[in-house]
Amino acid sequence: MEATLNINNDNVTGINSEVTDLSQEKDKVLHKKRETVGNPFVENPRMTCRDVFVYYGDKMAINNAGIDVACNEVIAMIGPSGCGKSTFLRCLNRMNDTVESCRVTGDIRIDGMDIYAKNVDVVPLRARVGMVFQKPNPFPKSIYDNVAYGPKIHGLAQNKAEIDEIVETSLKKAGLWEEAKDRLNQPGTGLSGGQQQRLCIARAIAVSPEVILMDEPCSALDPIATAKIEGLIAELRQHYSIVIVTHSMQQAARVSQRTAYFHLGDIIEVGPTERIFTNPRHQLTEDYITGRFG
Amino acid sequence: MNRFFEIFFVIWSWLSALCLVGAVAAILGFLCVKGFPALNVELIFGNTEPLSALLLQKQVFDGLFPAIVGTLCLVVLSVLLAVPLGVAAGIYMAEYAVGYVKTCCDFLFDILAGIPSIVIGLFGFTLAVFLHKNFSDQVYPCFLISSISLAFLVLPYIVRSTQISLEEIDPAIRNTALALGASRLQNIIHVLLPRALGGICSGVILAIGRCAEDTAVIMLTGAVAIAGIPRSILGQYEALPFYIFYISSQYADQAELMRGYGASLILIMLCTLLFLVAFLVRKRIAYQAFYKA
Repeated sequence: MEATLNINNDNVTGINSEVTDLSQEKDKVLHKKRETVGNPFVENPRMTCRDVFVYYGDKMAINNAGIDVACNEVIAMIGPSGCGKSTFLRCLNRMNDTVESCRVTGDIRIDGMDIYAKNVDVVPLRARVGMVFQKPNPFPKSIYDNVAYGPKIHGLAQNKAEIDEIVETSLKKAGLWEEAKDRLNQPGTGLSGGQQQRLCIARAIAVSPEVILMDEPCSALDPIATAKIEGLIAELRQHYSIVIVTHSMQQAARVSQRTAYFHLGDIIEVGPTERIFTNPRHQLTEDYITGRFG
Repeated sequence: MNRFFEIFFVIWSWLSALCLVGAVAAILGFLCVKGFPALNVELIFGNTEPLSALLLQKQVFDGLFPAIVGTLCLVVLSVLLAVPLGVAAGIYMAEYAVGYVKTCCDFLFDILAGIPSIVIGLFGFTLAVFLHKNFSDQVYPCFLISSISLAFLVLPYIVRSTQISLEEIDPAIRNTALALGASRLQNIIHVLLPRALGGICSGVILAIGRCAEDTAVIMLTGAVAIAGIPRSILGQYEALPFYIFYISSQYADQAELMRGYGASLILIMLCTLLFLVAFLVRKRIAYQAFYKA
């Protein structure tokens, strides 16, 4: 009886290990590292990413990515759905920490500080690397409180007057001051979609970040609101580094200085936006921007 | 075929809704018809002056006033005991518990929700006996024991409603404050709990209804036919559901039975009142949490 059991056990383990081997083989084939075309690195970078791998459970989402974010630049990340561009964006302020199955390895630094080091607190990190989401998501509080929330929890202001000032400058920078100054105490959710998104941008810049991550910030907005946000992004570049994920290639072409093309977890090509869109070097990039897939 | 099925389904849904509404209307109508004639000041206050009874100057012996006060106090204390515990457990389940521990707790809360109230009553009674034997012979089945038992009875409602309403929150909203650098606890207090208040409140309303109507638990843990206004949490007390049970099982004449109907009507009105208070509190808290925080 015991012997039979043993044999069965052996068989089971044998099959299991075979399955794992096979899937690992498959992974290797699928995720054979493609060399990034163009130069992903810059001088005096604000953020540096080297050898970044991201896994959801066993599934690899980002395969050995290396890229820099320069100071005062807008860098666009484009690529077909599921290529990992949002996942990569969320590594930059460790928002992936909130996803249980997600594992990030590699070296990501802001001003030389390793953000995945053991002793790093995500609270100040997320103040330095702000984020704007796809859907405008103001808190169901007043416009004023929405902007004041960040400075309050980070203790950036000593008194009401200082918070007032932060709220005003943030709203001005986000181009919302003229529309909102008479209704600061009304709910932020009562604004139009485009105004709400600018409110979210004001909320993000109220904590004086160095980098702002934008995850398809215009995909829920109409063309006019989109144009306003794009104009705003161009202005914000003077003070911040901006990483924007977008599905719209026209948008990437309009707002960014550099563009990175993602494909199945690889960064295929990085280069000056104009060059990427007029003279792509990699076949996959060319196929994507000419609309052969995506 | 499809068209026929669709018509059938619509009619079926309509009839089901109608049945439900009809059943509720029938019960309420029946109670009103039977109970309203019995409703008067005497039913509540007996021969005592209403004002002096309300000011607790004189005891009411032949009216429902002590039972009304008893039920009211019972509901308030039980809910006060259950809410902090239940909400905290719900937060833990939704935000912190993972893997094996979560599965285990889920299972245990399901069991707790399924325990018949008579068993919980028995537990309360045993607790009273245990305390009486081992700690103080002053402890009998009493108001406090009833409240604790009822709190246990309604705990699962509050845990579940808190957990579900927290888990239902859109991930986009969940991440907003985190992306601004809020800590996990700040996120829960500033964003998630205010969002979940509606759901938590539904749980509390369910709990209020359950506390007000449950008879099995209080029968075993301290409710009696005549005790007057509850004076101490260690004393015995009167309660409306127990009065209704008592009078409908041992009424001597038609007039007493009518008093039972009157008591039922009062119990329903009391529940409605408590629901209203819960709704108002919810509105107020939500406003405070969103706009004043």
